[in-house]
Amino acid sequence: MTLARRDFLMASAAFAGAGLARPALAQSEPIRIGWLAALTGPGSSAGIGFDRGVTFAINEINAGGGVKGRRIELVTRDTQGDPTKCVNASVELARRLKVDVVWGPCNSGEALACTPILAREHVPQIHPCFVDTLIDPTKYPNAYRIACSNEQLGEASSKYVLQIMKVRDIALIGDTTGYGTSTVQAYAPVLKQMGGNIVYQSLIEASQADLSADMLRMRDAGAKVIMPWSVNGGLLGRLLNARGELGWDVPVVGHPALGSGEVKALLAKPEYWNKVYLMGFRSCSFDESGNLPERTQEFVKRIGGKITLADTSLWWVACGYDVAHLVAKAVEQSGGSGADDIIKAWNAVKDYPGVYGDYTFTAQQHNGYPTDEIVLSRANSFRDGAFEVAPGYG
Amino acid sequence: MLAAIVATGLATGAVYALIAVTYNVMFSASRVMSFTSGQLGMLGGVFGTVFALWLHLPVLFAFVLTLVACAAIGVVTEIVAVRPVLASLDKHLYVLSTLAFALMLQQLVAIEFSTEPQPFPRLIGIGAGVLDQKFWLPVLAGGVAVGLLEYVYRRTLIGHAFLAIAEDSFAARALGLPEQRLRMTSYAIAGAVGGLAGFAGGELMLSYVANGPLWSFYGFVPVALGGLGNNRGAIIGGLALGLFQQAANFLVGGIFVSVATFVVFILVLLAAPQGLFGGAVGRRV
Repeated sequence: MTLARRDFLMASAAFAGAGLARPALAQSEPIRIGWLAALTGPGSSAGIGFDRGVTFAINEINAGGGVKGRRIELVTRDTQGDPTKCVNASVELARRLKVDVVWGPCNSGEALACTPILAREHVPQIHPCFVDTLIDPTKYPNAYRIACSNEQLGEASSKYVLQIMKVRDIALIGDTTGYGTSTVQAYAPVLKQMGGNIVYQSLIEASQADLSADMLRMRDAGAKVIMPWSVNGGLLGRLLNARGELGWDVPVVGHPALGSGEVKALLAKPEYWNKVYLMGFRSCSFDESGNLPERTQEFVKRIGGKITLADTSLWWVACGYDVAHLVAKAVEQSGGSGADDIIKAWNAVKDYPGVYGDYTFTAQQHNGYPTDEIVLSRANSFRDGAFEVAPGYG
Repeated sequence: MLAAIVATGLATGAVYALIAVTYNVMFSASRVMSFTSGQLGMLGGVFGTVFALWLHLPVLFAFVLTLVACAAIGVVTEIVAVRPVLASLDKHLYVLSTLAFALMLQQLVAIEFSTEPQPFPRLIGIGAGVLDQKFWLPVLAGGVAVGLLEYVYRRTLIGHAFLAIAEDSFAARALGLPEQRLRMTSYAIAGAVGGLAGFAGGELMLSYVANGPLWSFYGFVPVALGGLGNNRGAIIGGLALGLFQQAANFLVGGIFVSVATFVVFILVLLAAPQGLFGGAVGRRV
């Protein structure tokens, strides 16, 4: 086969044309958000809530013409809360599908597995996981946290107990899982540093059938408040039942699971849920008059009839909603969806008014959630995805 | 505080003991250690919740239905996981087959019931504090179950037939005993005993899918301590295990309970390999 000069010139022109056309094509390509979602399996309730929020926001943005004419496309992978599946999905999203941003995963166990991979692949990642070590601008320069960290939760709960409740004698307990153990170890020095007196500290096996002996030991040690750190509804339910059966009205301040439906179902009497306070967020909590903050109220009105809040948490939905808008804002400001464009734009985010909170990121600080938004809520006040703020905040 | 430790220890120990009896009854009829024992206990709690709380059946009716359902699963265990591997007992294939069936049961409960602990109904409403029914019901159930089994095994013809097929199935068949039917009946009884453990212990330990593997594990300890096939030994071993666990929890904390339990378990087995109540097994030469 011979190649005529004319054919060669035409082919060269075609290649050149393709090269010139590429930027124009990138400007019309969708912005692809990879979503590492636990939509099925034991830890799926949060994933479903986040999914409702991010999907709603993307539909809303696309209906309004997209971002500079570009649509946002959500590429979802159900990790089932399994770190192995999460790693596989991360590799697929980063290498094969070449998404612009990764949102998720939803739990720290998965995030610990996939964050180093996404850092290596240089894909901007934003997640809501609490474990402190997941954010490190040196090790993971492209990872950002949209929710609070464990350290922030510890600080907020300690402040509530020591400064608002004005109680010093604390029983600090956790379950024997990695979460319970590490949280107790992390919070004990924080409490002591802030003036707390830990009169009882223990790790309890989550399957322990009866907690009466532990409760008696806490009471005998002089505890004036119990701070349990566990996601196990069975353990928390037993703890509250043991407290109720002893007739001991000591307040309980701890993990958001204290307000879960699982705990409610296990209570021997509804009144055993009194004086139980869980970690929550001011933006997604009812005030003492039963109202949400104005911005959240407007959001709830907007999603009314489109997203159900009865079986999920408002903060999950709001957080997912804000993620889509943070991505859209980054693309809009930087004019592109390349990794460096998005990272540069996120590093300049200051007091961005989301529904879940006002976010601020810098090149050195990738924890974007403000600590003063973290508040305690009454465990027995759940309605429409939110709790009522605990007494004392004013 | 001592009363709370003793009450909880005896109650959890009684549940372990009943699971150990489940192991024993299955072993007696087939020479197979079936790892479905703990799952049958877990199913006792799950069925209790489903029948009494979800379907609002009267507690007594729910109890009977639970025992029947668990007995049926015991029979299915025999058909699916035990019978096919009986011919090659020396290869210990039953470890795989019963473990696989146990995992299937567990996954099924996780998918169809819940992965979270679910409430169990208040059964009869007697007692308060350390005398609450949730503490003494498992102990009562354990005592009644072992008493009945001992009576059947020692005083009735069918009990002697169970022991005969356990001793030498070929000889028993040669004598005209319906070996297969007797074995299935044994598995049905074992299923009911396992279901009784979960139902009687449900108020204390809830209906929870994770109870299955845990009870398979802790139910095996009294079997080894009490001597394989020895139900009275299993009851004493189970109660001792429950009390030891609670005491260890009090003295060294929850995180070390399992370690403490298995250290003692290994030490006892080193001192008495046949179990505390088991006799040395003669070997035919």
